[in-house]
Amino acid sequence: MLRRLLCTVLLLPTLLCSAASAAEKIVVATNPEWPPMEFLDDEKRIIGYDIDMMNAIAAEVGLETEFRMTAWDGIFAGIAAGNYDVIASAVTITPERQKAFAFSVPYYDVRQIVVLRKGDSAANFEALKGRVIGGQIGTTGIFVAQKSGVDMTIREYDSVGLAMQDLINSRIDAVICDSPVALYYANQKEGFADHLSVAFRTEATESFGFVVQKNRKDLVERLNKGIEAVRAKGIEAELIRKWMGD
Amino acid sequence: MRDNEENSLPAGVAPEGKIEVPAGGLVLPDSEKGSLVNAWSLSLVGAVVVLTVLCTVWPDPYLEILCFVPEGLLVTFEVTILSIICAIPLGLITGLGRLSHNRVINLIASTYVEVIRGIPLLVQIFYIYYALAKFLQVSGLTSAVIAISFCYGAYMGEVFRAGIMAIPKGQTEASRSLGFNKVQTMVLVVLPQALRTIVPPVGNECIAMLKDTSLVSVMAMPDLMQYGRSFAAKSYLYFETYTIIALIYLIITLLLSKAVSILESRLNYYDKRK
Repeated sequence: MLRRLLCTVLLLPTLLCSAASAAEKIVVATNPEWPPMEFLDDEKRIIGYDIDMMNAIAAEVGLETEFRMTAWDGIFAGIAAGNYDVIASAVTITPERQKAFAFSVPYYDVRQIVVLRKGDSAANFEALKGRVIGGQIGTTGIFVAQKSGVDMTIREYDSVGLAMQDLINSRIDAVICDSPVALYYANQKEGFADHLSVAFRTEATESFGFVVQKNRKDLVERLNKGIEAVRAKGIEAELIRKWMGD
Repeated sequence: MRDNEENSLPAGVAPEGKIEVPAGGLVLPDSEKGSLVNAWSLSLVGAVVVLTVLCTVWPDPYLEILCFVPEGLLVTFEVTILSIICAIPLGLITGLGRLSHNRVINLIASTYVEVIRGIPLLVQIFYIYYALAKFLQVSGLTSAVIAISFCYGAYMGEVFRAGIMAIPKGQTEASRSLGFNKVQTMVLVVLPQALRTIVPPVGNECIAMLKDTSLVSVMAMPDLMQYGRSFAAKSYLYFETYTIIALIYLIITLLLSKAVSILESRLNYYDKRK
């Protein structure tokens, strides 16, 4: 008992210190399975558009970032529980998500793209009737496929990479995901680009935002200020050139 | 070497020949204690009451979740039943192989058990579905059944081995001296007796199997767990969704464990008359 008390007394200053220095540091959750937005390089570092963007924003408003690898399935539960301060992981702003979390201003616009094997073709969801479409669980691609009302079998994978792999292996007929990711797999990624081609993209655009806990309005404002500054300085355009190639 | 193996009882077998419930398995309800208030009925009534209250008091979202998942439950049952059908014969063959005096058969069975026991089921599922896809492609259901029955076949092999070894050697000797050959001795004398000690732990393994089918959601198999994850990912209601999923799994496993205990008491018919 005495020992435990002693431990607590000794640990208390350390805890307080770490809390004080954490004021300027934010923990950013990301699911590095969504290239080129966020993924791991050969040396297992997290890289990508979102990472560079977040770092640029943080530098503008005097924050320090610590990135944490998180599984996509559960990334929202983690922010609700307060395990990290921000999600920077290509999160589309949707009304449902806005009900549960706070978002920064939009920082990047995408559409949904359906990818097929080379030699296969489809112009819209109707053409995929009765076929199997895959995607990453809990992503807007899956929601768009579900809302299309077309009778397709929808398979929800833990990561988009596994869905792409199954597409190449002919276990499924199509994969739906955000346009940068689809283009990365269909045009760039070694081992995939030779086998895949873009079939069509959806009309509606979606916007990515950084996710923050509902009650952290201060942090949202700070991020918004940072996004504005990054845009004004032309850093954003530079990052788009670097990661999207256009 | 061989004598040594026969003298030392495998793990899980108490000297009296009763097989202990493996750690991590469910405690089988003891049907001999006829009292209404026991851990089993308390858990079942508790789970059913909580589920009913949640769904009637807050139909949105609890009832909505409950109505969303039944299709997943069918897939869970499908995978479980097919896996049980494959795993039990595999376990029996492995158990007999492990007891075989033929060195080659013994070595094959033992190696199979050692290898499979040393690899987590989740890794096996990934391996069969994603890694082996390079050479041969099997559907999600087939991969799931292969992975689970291979894994549990190895576990059950040990249960069968333990059960057979628990039968006193005199039984075999008596049977052989009456002119039965080895196969007849095993099938007509040893196995029927071993069954009584084997059934409860095998039942336990089957229940564990049902719970482990939740792992197949990693290959986008639409089982109960996958439906739950899908709902949670859409609605962001993690607490509510996984509460319902946990309750459904709990109610099913409780009912199954009751079935196993009834089966066990039927098999112990002669013990009770003593």
